[in-house]
Amino acid sequence: MSMCQSIGRYELLVKIVLIGFSIPGEAKPDFLDFSVHGLLDLRYQNLDAQPGETEHGLGKFRSGGDNNRLLVNEASLVLQSRLGWDWSGTITLKYANKQYNPLDLSEIFLNYRPVSTSAWQISGRLGMFFPPISLENTGTAWSSPYTLSSSAVNSWVGEELRSFGGEARLNYQVDTGDRLGLFAAGLAKNDAAGILLAWRGWSLGDYEATLQDHLRLPENIGIRSQFPRQAILTQPFVEVDGKPGYYAGVTAERANLYSLRALYYDNRANPAAITNGQYAWHTRFYSLGLKAELPWDLTLISQGMSGRTSMGEMIDSKYAVDAGFWASSILLSKSFRDHRLSLRHDRFGTDENDYLPQDINREQGYAWTANYNLTLAKRHQFNFEISRIVSDRPARVSLSQTSQQEETLWQIAYRLFF
Amino acid sequence: MANCLSSIFLAISVTTIVMPVTADTVSGMVYADGTALADVVVTATPSNYTGKAAQTETESVSMALDQKSREFVPHVLAVRTGTPVFFPNSDDIRHHVYSFSQAKRFELKLYKGTPKVPIVFNHPGIVALGCNIHDWMLGYIFVTDSPYLTKTDVFGHWSLELPKGNYQIVFWHSDSTAVSGLTGESIHVPLDRPLHHNLNLKARRQSGKPPNSLQVQGYKDGF
Repeated sequence: MSMCQSIGRYELLVKIVLIGFSIPGEAKPDFLDFSVHGLLDLRYQNLDAQPGETEHGLGKFRSGGDNNRLLVNEASLVLQSRLGWDWSGTITLKYANKQYNPLDLSEIFLNYRPVSTSAWQISGRLGMFFPPISLENTGTAWSSPYTLSSSAVNSWVGEELRSFGGEARLNYQVDTGDRLGLFAAGLAKNDAAGILLAWRGWSLGDYEATLQDHLRLPENIGIRSQFPRQAILTQPFVEVDGKPGYYAGVTAERANLYSLRALYYDNRANPAAITNGQYAWHTRFYSLGLKAELPWDLTLISQGMSGRTSMGEMIDSKYAVDAGFWASSILLSKSFRDHRLSLRHDRFGTDENDYLPQDINREQGYAWTANYNLTLAKRHQFNFEISRIVSDRPARVSLSQTSQQEETLWQIAYRLFF
Repeated sequence: MANCLSSIFLAISVTTIVMPVTADTVSGMVYADGTALADVVVTATPSNYTGKAAQTETESVSMALDQKSREFVPHVLAVRTGTPVFFPNSDDIRHHVYSFSQAKRFELKLYKGTPKVPIVFNHPGIVALGCNIHDWMLGYIFVTDSPYLTKTDVFGHWSLELPKGNYQIVFWHSDSTAVSGLTGESIHVPLDRPLHHNLNLKARRQSGKPPNSLQVQGYKDGF
């Protein structure tokens, strides 16, 4: 009953927010109704890892240490409302451990999806939303039904990528049931994306940055001395140079059989620009993803990404930081009744071609993640997961660590979905 | 479910009454990999049948396809060509039912209760139904010119009352690997044996039921 009361308060809040949007066409004041879903994520973790992002380190998990701990990892509310037959709105409000603002938005967008009675269908999104890269994070508040820690690619998408803008999609349904699509988006406020890939490198985690987030940069590896104008914390969602970016891509899918996505992203940032201690990082990449439902209730998800991020004034046709990055993963998951068993392999790396050899940003590594989860009464999910990352990052020598590190994270999670 | 099934039987009995011929019961079972298969549409068409004439002999009985607990009930509805179908919404949430199947293209904006005007299915074929709000929802309306039609129950069992004569029996299932999901055979009534059929089903199937975890059911990223 108390949950209903608190949901009622959120509904009122969301009504106030959503009524502010002007919806064309048939929206009526009495049309507003809400679905409230959410996630509570409690963890017990056993760590054997170097300090991570939350400790300004170069570790490959979000946090490091050699200890056990119990924490409230995340609590999220997803409020969805229909604003007309063709329009809906989504707001995700999130608390996460060591989040900059204890309560902040991780997405807020309008979705336009009119019914089509022909083979052609259009749809769109407007607001702050995830670019369509991850094929894993299909659950409440962008959680994954397969693992606790996302793949390297999707961990980075969660930390640094969000579309602030509009996206349009055109689909064509073939008689065989396959749906082919084109999509494109114009976006802003994503000029800092890439900074973590260059200076910290890839990681495995499950943190989705929020609207006003500030993430931590590695310390004692020379960033402050070489880039004194850089703030200690990076703000993933800022507009630095006033230049909009874009992505565009293609999809092919058939319900319950396969989904294929390819996109090219370019934030078109001016690498020489800096505002309030935040550099613009010109980040562009290709992303490719395949999800296939195989016999015996096996699901295969494979994703790959390859791109570059560049920052600073150009001298002799080189930038101050210019890192190439790539990562790929393959996940196999088997569900049987309320149980699910998943195994994923990640490989990742970065290289560099810039005029500051003392700022070492190259790395390579791989990771294994195994997860078993049990979902009871549709809402209580118990997870057991082990992740192991082996990586080589020469910049660790500045921290008196060996370049090569093997890090392990055991996790037991209770996740409540409602 | 029971209401709809009784409507089917009602439609069949209406047909039977207008044909003053003694009828024999033809029955059978449908299996897939040794397991009884429900929701298989079974139609019987007399070999000398010209659909148009027969259709004018009967008045179309309206039928209903409900939405309950975020799924279409029944999952499969078999109707004769020209049948009006009502789409009540028994949930207290909105549904936005649509079809872009060639046999019938329509869109229905449903919020509580039953729309006053039914959708009339004028062309034979398979109409796949979806909901624009709940992606997993999937239902089928099988529209046929055949005068005799029914569906297998949860035990895979079906039966039809057929006058003496030669018939083409056709089986349809949404997940059958057969071309258009249709298989069949010719029979002569009276038939002194039950008809047993085994269908091959696709490896991956959509149940049309809500996902069994709220983690997946309660979230759409909008893409």
